[in-house]
Amino acid sequence: MTQVLDREQIAEWSAQQPQRPWTKKPARLQARIAVAALLPAALVALLFMYTEIPGPVLLVAVYFPLQLLAAGIAAVATKGRQGAADSVIIVLSVGATLFSFIILTSVLGSLIVRGLEAVWGEDGFRSSFLFQNNVYINPSTPLEYGGLGHAVIGTLMIVLIASLIAVPIGIATAIYITEVRGRAVPYVRFFVQAMSGIPSIVAGLFILTVLIVSGAMNQSAFAGGLAYAILMLPTVARTAEEVLRLIPEDLRTGALALGSTRARVVLRVVLPAAKTGVITAIILGVARVIGETAPLLLTSLKSDQTILNPLTDPIAALPTYIFDNVALPYPGAVTRAWGAALVLMILVLILFTIARILGRDRLNRFR
Amino acid sequence: MATPPTETRRDLDSAATSHRGDRIFNRGITVAAFTALLVLAGIAIFLGVAAVEAITTQGWSFLFTTEWKVDQGDEPVAGIWGMLYGSVLLSVIGLVIAVPVSLLLSVFIVFLAPRRLGRVMTNVIDLMAAIPSIILGLWAFYLLSPPAEQWQFLLNKYLGWIPIFQNDSGNFNGTPFIAGFVLAIMMIPIITSVSREVLGRTPPELINAAEALGCSLWTMLRHVALPYGRGGIVGGIMLGLGRALGETIAIFFVLKLVYDINWYKIIESEGGSVATLIVATFGEVSGPYELNLLLAAGFFLFVGTLAVNVIANLIVQKTGRSER
Repeated sequence: MTQVLDREQIAEWSAQQPQRPWTKKPARLQARIAVAALLPAALVALLFMYTEIPGPVLLVAVYFPLQLLAAGIAAVATKGRQGAADSVIIVLSVGATLFSFIILTSVLGSLIVRGLEAVWGEDGFRSSFLFQNNVYINPSTPLEYGGLGHAVIGTLMIVLIASLIAVPIGIATAIYITEVRGRAVPYVRFFVQAMSGIPSIVAGLFILTVLIVSGAMNQSAFAGGLAYAILMLPTVARTAEEVLRLIPEDLRTGALALGSTRARVVLRVVLPAAKTGVITAIILGVARVIGETAPLLLTSLKSDQTILNPLTDPIAALPTYIFDNVALPYPGAVTRAWGAALVLMILVLILFTIARILGRDRLNRFR
Repeated sequence: MATPPTETRRDLDSAATSHRGDRIFNRGITVAAFTALLVLAGIAIFLGVAAVEAITTQGWSFLFTTEWKVDQGDEPVAGIWGMLYGSVLLSVIGLVIAVPVSLLLSVFIVFLAPRRLGRVMTNVIDLMAAIPSIILGLWAFYLLSPPAEQWQFLLNKYLGWIPIFQNDSGNFNGTPFIAGFVLAIMMIPIITSVSREVLGRTPPELINAAEALGCSLWTMLRHVALPYGRGGIVGGIMLGLGRALGETIAIFFVLKLVYDINWYKIIESEGGSVATLIVATFGEVSGPYELNLLLAAGFFLFVGTLAVNVIANLIVQKTGRSER
């Protein structure tokens, strides 16, 4: 009797998680691990409270060796000599995890604490900080006045210009690779990959020479948008390519069999089917560039006014606003920088979350 | 029974060329697909012209000496060797910190953590990759630098006899160590996401077989998982390196640029970086000639990062990882 495998069956099998027996641990071992993990920490905490040894020295010279020793003893007691190397790996990898977790917490935590100082004063929520511009403001002006409204508008304008340029070209590149499938596919992919390695400062220098040094135009939102587009294009193209790859071949051949032209297959069938994925690609592209500072320092400079003309005048953006305020010797200016950084990070987080939610949706759809 | 008319059937493979609209569509898409090449060539040409001019006026000493006296005196002298070397030194410091951390982190996520914690850590790492470099720079300037000066002081005090921990000035501000540390934070998510994926694709049969033969975790890693994922991991490291070489803003505030070559004193308050040189000098550029020198410096930065990235992508591709 032959067994007929249907798609659902296969999907169910492939959804099963592989078993990982090496992660199971008996209770006695768990108790041993707990003792080995807590004892050194407790000892060092006592030393820290009752002696004068500075914290970093204690951490490096006492805690780490002690922790390694404790884990080593526990491992040798359980597994014999072989366990010693394991214990080192385990202690170090937990350490590495804590390290990155602490860094991220420190960055986000400091952003929230210092950033809220700018947005939330004794006078309550300062909407002025979010909506006013920087005209008549100098570094020592109290925080009640002025804000980053002009920089938010500038960032949105620059990112919009970049998207208008990079999104169509990026998606077209992806379509070339997955739909047109011309002879040059390997080369196009190679160039896109090479392009994703362009440092942001080099993208800025390029636009600077082509547009500004040559005298074609002033530093402006358009020039900044072009520099952003260079950085955005590879991200959009690669993500869109991955998404279009997920569209089942049946859809294409089906549409062709119904007599549709190639162009219609792409525009009416493939792209609509990949809609959420393409949106994810755009969002990831925007998230990639929105915090880039170096190209804007060369191509859009800065401004204290709200600029609405993208072609002629230098314009402020959130990253350059932060850059200008970071190292000023005025606490008020520094607080403004933190406030702007908080706003920027929130923008990035929103984009990140949307991309995640859409991405999950996309993956589940064609499994 | 009537047979359907056959002359309207279309050959699927030649469909692309048999319709006028399709031909226009295909041509348009093909042109757009070569934008990447156009941009790369444009950068190479426009910055390359500047580089040629810099080399002809400055000689090869532009690449192999360290000096920047352009706006003063009659004869402008410029050389970026110290900056080029500085970029490499910072990246090496970053790699020394980031590679072990990333590998251990991916071992933790793939082999040690419960599945849910592993997923949380994956998101944490992706989030780390999403932090804009200017925010990292701000954080490094105000939160990392002060304690890092303390660490370096202690390093110098207890391990100062090792050449790399020498410090003659007593000033621990703006050192290559701090900047390299910041670069490491930027590299960790890149390297981790590649090596996590590569290690996660180690065939479970191989792992189970190793377990059944009595291998410990370390032996399994050493003889099964790491050899299996070696290519991908090396590629990931090179991708991180490419990112670090071109990074500008994150280290702008925490690195003291000095036009002098600092060979190995990583906790001395002097360093160099091509990208940072460009931003630092652009604000007070004295004229078209100095701007041209900056463009030339940008050209060499472009060539270096491009080479690293191309090699990295070739390695990653060879190991069959989905490119991302």
